[in-house]
Amino acid sequence: MSLPVNKEDRGENLSRNIFLCGVGGQGLVLMTTVIGNACAKSGKKVVTGEMYGLSQRSGTVSVHLRIGEDAFSPLISYGDADILVALEAIEPLRYIEYLKKDGVVLMNKRIMHPPIETSKIITAKGTKYITVENIVSKLKGWTPNIAVIDALKLARESGNVNTENTVFLGCLSALEVFPVEENYIRESISEAVPTKTIEQNLKAFDLGKENAYISLCTLVPCKRGH
Amino acid sequence: MVLKDFLAKEQKTVFMLCNEAIARGALEADVKVVAFYPGAPTSEVLDTFSEALGNFDYQMEIATNEKVALEVCAGASFAGLRSLTAMKSVGANVASDILFVLGYTGVRGGLVLVIADDPHAHSSQSEEDGRFFAPNAYVPMLEPSSPQEAKDMVKKAFEISERHRVPVIIRTVTRVNHQSSIVRLENLERTAFKKAKWKELKEEFTTLGEVARQKKLEMLERTAKLAEEFEKSEFNFVKRADSDVGVITSSVSYLYVLEALKMLGLQEKVNILKLGTTYPLPKNTISSFIKGLKKAVIVEELSPYLEKEVYAIAKAANPSVAIFGKGSGTFSEAWEFNPNIVVKGIASAMGMEYVDYESIIQEAKKLKVDIPDRYPTFCAGCPHRATFVALNQALRIQVAKGQEHYFANDIGCYSMWVFPPISRSDSSLCMGASVGVANGLSHAIEERVVAVVGDSTFYHAAIPALINAVHNGNKFTLLILDNSVTAMTGQQSNPSTEFTAGWRQGKKVSIENICRAIGVDFLEIVDSYDVKNNVEVFRKALEFDGLSVVISRRECALYGDRNKRRRGEPIVPFYVDKNLCKKPYMCLRTFYCPAYEIDEDQQPRISPDICDGCSVCSKLCPFQSIKRTEVKT
Repeated sequence: MSLPVNKEDRGENLSRNIFLCGVGGQGLVLMTTVIGNACAKSGKKVVTGEMYGLSQRSGTVSVHLRIGEDAFSPLISYGDADILVALEAIEPLRYIEYLKKDGVVLMNKRIMHPPIETSKIITAKGTKYITVENIVSKLKGWTPNIAVIDALKLARESGNVNTENTVFLGCLSALEVFPVEENYIRESISEAVPTKTIEQNLKAFDLGKENAYISLCTLVPCKRGH
Repeated sequence: MVLKDFLAKEQKTVFMLCNEAIARGALEADVKVVAFYPGAPTSEVLDTFSEALGNFDYQMEIATNEKVALEVCAGASFAGLRSLTAMKSVGANVASDILFVLGYTGVRGGLVLVIADDPHAHSSQSEEDGRFFAPNAYVPMLEPSSPQEAKDMVKKAFEISERHRVPVIIRTVTRVNHQSSIVRLENLERTAFKKAKWKELKEEFTTLGEVARQKKLEMLERTAKLAEEFEKSEFNFVKRADSDVGVITSSVSYLYVLEALKMLGLQEKVNILKLGTTYPLPKNTISSFIKGLKKAVIVEELSPYLEKEVYAIAKAANPSVAIFGKGSGTFSEAWEFNPNIVVKGIASAMGMEYVDYESIIQEAKKLKVDIPDRYPTFCAGCPHRATFVALNQALRIQVAKGQEHYFANDIGCYSMWVFPPISRSDSSLCMGASVGVANGLSHAIEERVVAVVGDSTFYHAAIPALINAVHNGNKFTLLILDNSVTAMTGQQSNPSTEFTAGWRQGKKVSIENICRAIGVDFLEIVDSYDVKNNVEVFRKALEFDGLSVVISRRECALYGDRNKRRRGEPIVPFYVDKNLCKKPYMCLRTFYCPAYEIDEDQQPRISPDICDGCSVCSKLCPFQSIKRTEVKT
């Protein structure tokens, strides 16, 4: 299948599209704030479309994030996201139509099973949970570029279990296709998180970045200087 | 955005959510009084003002409902102060009574009213098109596409409001309110808050009969002047191209149009008229835009509001122009737009080939076949879950005794009872309507009617319906779920909270005292977590031959966590003792807590980082296998 509209038809595409998703309470909005503030600091145009109206803790949450001079719409077009970041492992499948066919999936190893899935397991004998392996094999039907990150483990290593979102900021920063410079992201993290967690968050960022160079940069181009 | 940016006194370029930009625009315009009832997608306007309250001297109220909020603003405006409120479109229905009157009486200090529609009903009961409030109330309306434009329009709206002595509507949609982008902050020059002397300002804000008839003529005159002024407004602009095709658009659709033209390779090859003042419409501007066009594509979400005007204008200006929009079937009146829908619409109007996005969706669908749904559900520790478990047991006992039920749900977190796996609700309508329809149903059906309403919804719109029930002797059961805050929109304070806006000390308004004063004969107050006891209380309430009210009380888990963190108290999770668990799954069967999973031994497991330590599930286990983690000290 080809891309929605031929690249030649629309000239050079100046924008980068990043689709972020996860489960309510995982810190997706903070992550968006950090990237957005970093864009403001570095003079980049950015627009986002955020969906968290009725989402309680445990509901699905998504953010369309677009960086670049020709990013007008707050929503990404189908098949046009360069990167799909998922703070929870089931969620990238839910939004896969937004990703380019050769796009990058950066996903958490962690699955948060919704109560409806668990209730099926006790009511229908033989029902099993979906696994990360199931999900990755399905995602491979869309793109070969999939990195599974054990963000919870890295967050724990940073000394603060709530830094999974920052781990992913680190991963993103390694990618060549992510257009924001690392120093601006680090500065924004320091301004957006509670003061006493700044050090842990910066550690989580570094751990995420290092991890990306191991698990991801063999698949897709990464920034040099590591 | 971080608060520091919001408070910046000097010019600055920042990344901001549109709702924050609206608040900043009002601050830059020296707003003095703000009042809100929270509702997605506008709640962050309230939250931003609440968070910043300590830094300024504006007066702020989290009002009992949208009508009261607008009336608070009107009062301030009569005294010459600038005021602002923001509400979702269904909230504007509640506020419309005073809005229509203000159209007649006019105002003094600038009064700006943000009405946010929710195309796609992401977090609302309907896809209402709030634009029709403006022509119906003869009140001007501005529609921004982006955070920057929203901020600019709010500032301009205060000027328009004062120049024409009329409230001004800023109409947004979810994809505008929940859009963040780069915003230019202007200098923040605030004057000190000062009370006015009414005797120096005195004038009459009245309308009735002959006065109303006179004012109607003045309204028409005012609207004609506004129409003339809006012909020159910077918020309407044309992007010319050497082409006989033109797009007329407004709101977020304008951004989709820019994106779609880029995707179709039509940048600068199609004329665009972007409308920012959508009531009264700049008819001359539209007329001269469509002159000479062969095709006009109208890109707007929901109703054909602009389109009908374009048809009317085209009749004189360019009768042969082909109009593509809702009428032609190019776009639907249902659901929100996105770039792909607009690409498809413009391509079909141009007679171009477009790539079939449906095939992408279909291909994705195949990959999604087995993924579990993730419906919104109650948070771990949510008191509503515990109330539901007890109510469900009580209803089962009553069913066994031959009593059947009608379940009237309402608007709040407990609305989630309509979603699987619970899926229990015979009706779920609008704020306070559960009590209203319970009155009618109690006459009309043999089954016992059970209505539920939350604390915030009770104060907002349920009290008149409850008084009605007492006065008329209507027999049903009402559960009032009092979790201390307006939880669903982000735990804002309400009269059940000991705080007001900005977390300043306020006076709690007792729900039970209201019920007693009204004359409710059966009134019980229970702790939501006390499931065993509550089954019996609910059962008695269901059996009571009259109106029975039970207040199920326990603070919202997220609000409770926030208070615990503030006090430095730990949240102590529970765990399943694998040696005691015999897998009857009583902890899971009707409980549906997101902290629960099944482990490799098919035993329930509690995720310690999700568990809120509420203890309710531990009481459901017949083998006492669910225990509190010991706290390391």
